[in-house]
Order: sequence, then C-alpha cells, then structure tokens
Amino acid sequence: MKLDTSGFETSMPTIGFGSSNDMLDGFSTVPSFDLPRTTDFDGFQKEAVQMVKPAKGTTTLAFIFKEGVMVAADSRASMGGYISSQSVKKIIEINPYMLGTMAGGAADCQFWHRNLGIKCRLHELANKRRISVSGASKLLANMLYSYRGMGLSVGTMIAGWDETGPGLYYVDNEGGRLKGDRFSVGSGSPYAYGVLDSGYKFDMSVEEASELARRSIYHATFRDGASGGVASVYHVGSNGWTKLSGDDVGELHYHYYPVPPAIAEQVMEEAAAE
Amino acid sequence: MSIFEYNGSAVVAMVGKNCFAIASDRRLGVQLQTIATDFKRISKIHDRLFIGLSGLATDVQTLYQRLVFRHKLYQLREERDMKPETFASLVSAILYEKRFGPYLCQPVIAGLGEDDKPFICTMDSIGAKELAKDFVVSGTASESLYGACEAMYKPDMEAEELFETISQALLSSVDRDCLSGWGGHVYVVTPNEIKERILKGRMD
Repeated sequence: MKLDTSGFETSMPTIGFGSSNDMLDGFSTVPSFDLPRTTDFDGFQKEAVQMVKPAKGTTTLAFIFKEGVMVAADSRASMGGYISSQSVKKIIEINPYMLGTMAGGAADCQFWHRNLGIKCRLHELANKRRISVSGASKLLANMLYSYRGMGLSVGTMIAGWDETGPGLYYVDNEGGRLKGDRFSVGSGSPYAYGVLDSGYKFDMSVEEASELARRSIYHATFRDGASGGVASVYHVGSNGWTKLSGDDVGELHYHYYPVPPAIAEQVMEEAAAE
Repeated sequence: MSIFEYNGSAVVAMVGKNCFAIASDRRLGVQLQTIATDFKRISKIHDRLFIGLSGLATDVQTLYQRLVFRHKLYQLREERDMKPETFASLVSAILYEKRFGPYLCQPVIAGLGEDDKPFICTMDSIGAKELAKDFVVSGTASESLYGACEAMYKPDMEAEELFETISQALLSSVDRDCLSGWGGHVYVVTPNEIKERILKGRMD
C-alpha cells in the first residue's frame, strides 16, 4: 500500500540529491507513490461516496387493501451514526382523511406537509368540496418540482380516502409522483418490502393488515441501523384515519421471538443466549 | 461514514474491587445493514486477561489471532502467563509495526495483575496506550459510553454491582447509536471465576 510520505520531506529543500548526508540516510530517497490522476486529489472521491451514501434513514410503508389504506412508520431520527431521537412522528396528519409519511429531511417534510394541508383547506373553501388524493399529491409534487435541485430531501407517501375510494401516491423531492398500491420508502424499505410483499393479500381484514404493517416495520428496524424506536400504524378508511397501534420495537422483538427463560440461577439482566 | 464505522462496535471495561468487567455489543453490520447479532468482540487471552477489539471486524479477528499466537509463544518460552501490563505493551508494539497501514481497530485490554490488582487500558489504532484507573471505552458508541460510565461509575464496586453498572452503561449508550447494540456480552472476572453473561437489549 503506497502512502503519503511527504511529511518526511525536510524543510531544507536544497540538500543535494545523491550527496550523502548522515542525517538523511534512509530518508533521502523518498519512496514514490501512486497518485490518482485528477486535479482534485482531496475531493474526487466525494461524489462517488455521496452517491452510495444511504439516504433517508427511516422506514415508512403504505398499502391499499380491501378496507382502505394502511400506513406505518418507525420513529427514529439519526444523524450519521448518532441516534438523535427515538420518538419522531413520521406520519403527518394533513387533514382528517389524509395522511402523509415523512422520510428524508424532517424539517422539509414537516413544512411541506403543513403547507399542503393549508392548500387543501383553501381548495375546500374555494370549491365547496374536499380535494382528491390525486389532486393533493399533484399539488405537493408540483411544489417540490419547482424547488428541484435546491437540496430538499423529501420522500413521502400521500394516503387518503376520497370519492373514488382509497388513494395512495408516492411523491419525492425530485418532483416524481407515482400512483400505486404498495410503497415503502427509506433505508429500511428493502427489508419492509420483503415482509410486506410476501404477506400481502387484497382481501385482508383491518386486524390482519395492521399486523402485517407492524411486522414489516419491525423487521426493517431489526436489520436496518437507521430505523427503530416505535412502530406506528394508522388506518385510513371511509370515515378518515385512525391510529391503530404504536408499539415499541424493542419489546416487539421479544414478543415475536421470545427468549426461553434460563433455568435456576438468574440475575435480572440475564437471558439465555439466543 | 468512516472506515472505523463500517462494521459498528462498542466495547467498555471497568475496574472494581479486585475484579474487572469487560463488555461489548454483539452487532456485526455492513454500514446500516445488520448482518449478525452474535459477533464475538471480546476474547480471552488467558484466565486473567481479556482483550476486546472494536473497529473493522476483519482486523478484529486477524489481530486477535496474531495476539493469541504471540501469547502462546510466550507461554512456551517463559512457562507462565503474560502479565496484563506486558501484554498491553505487546499489543502496542504490534500495532505500531503497522504504523503506515494500520489495523483499523481500537483494543481494550483488561486483566488481573499481581496481587489481583485489576488493570485496564485502551489504545488507538496505532498503539497509543491510555491507562485508566476507572473505565475505558472504544467503538462507534464511545462518546455515549464516556458519558454513561462517568455518570454511573463508583470506585471499589463488588462483582455483582460492577456487572449491573457496566451492563446499564453499555445498553443505554448503544441505544443512542445506530451502528452498535443488538444485545450485549459481559465478562466479569474475579480472582476465582469468570462469569460470562449475555444481555437482552433493544434489537433495533
């Protein structure tokens, strides 16, 4: 491995090359090293590293089923490796029949969802009818598109119930807007998709769907370091949304995978090796 | 994230009354993804000497193998176990040998020396020894660990109280770190016995 040994170069640059000097013996031939052929030696790797950098440390998911829309999310906020909070509300209540999920920058998501709520209310007042989920998500997508490239970080799902029934849209800071039946957003989304996709059926009851959502979030928090805290599950039906559960993921683990108690001598903290 | 945060780790050692405790988390990850929840970071060198290694997991395993090899050689030549202070100097020398291509780990060494006096020390990745009388920490959760240990530590704790203290310090610190946790592994060593325990922690 070739290393930067320029620190060994002395401050007397005019020592003759090849002239023997007791002090510099062994150091006079500075080993050469391979340098990348670029003008920006310190920063050329940054772009590549940034590209693969895990973005949006969170897990949120939403899916449409027979009884409406199920929305679930974890509650961890992380700054690099540090957990800044385990109790962040990532499901934002836009109005009594529409929910938005938060992934990406917390400030961005909170602000733009509130802004969307204002726009939806204004639409209601102007048109004497509620805005559709399609319309609301379009408003948000257009707003975000106009700020494209300015560094907003928003990966959100708009879930709601309007005249056409349940609606679910994915909207992100690039201005993308997708209509779909199942979405999961965030660094924990691959793990959540694995559980969600294998357990999904359109004809589920509300209990089955909420258990599926909860389990998907739990599995994502187990595998993903940037997800954790509390798994919240909301249901959006014809009468609006209701919060179904908010279970601490640490306890959920031992609920799904209980540890058989060790026999005989046992101190409070002790548990049998899993 | 730096290379030291690639796998994620947390190691802490504390001194008690004629005993010591050394604890680590159990997660092995690749950046944010958790691969295993039973990774061994603390290893026994001999019955009164343990080393816990935090940092890049491959170097943790390789460095441990090298150190066991050197200690076995020492045992053959000297017909006795190494003292903890000597072992710490050995580790420091081995790490500095690789000064320009270092092992990317930070060891925590804990042992019982002569007269059953507990000895702990930690090092950076190129062998700078840091001796302490109370506790030493290392890993991605080290800042949280410093805070927790500072608050919870008392001198001259007996083995059981020491176990409680180090466990609480470890669990509360890794709960603030995305990259470490998923359980805990604690060794409490007194002149008569070694007690190994596994902690139930938050698995998120």
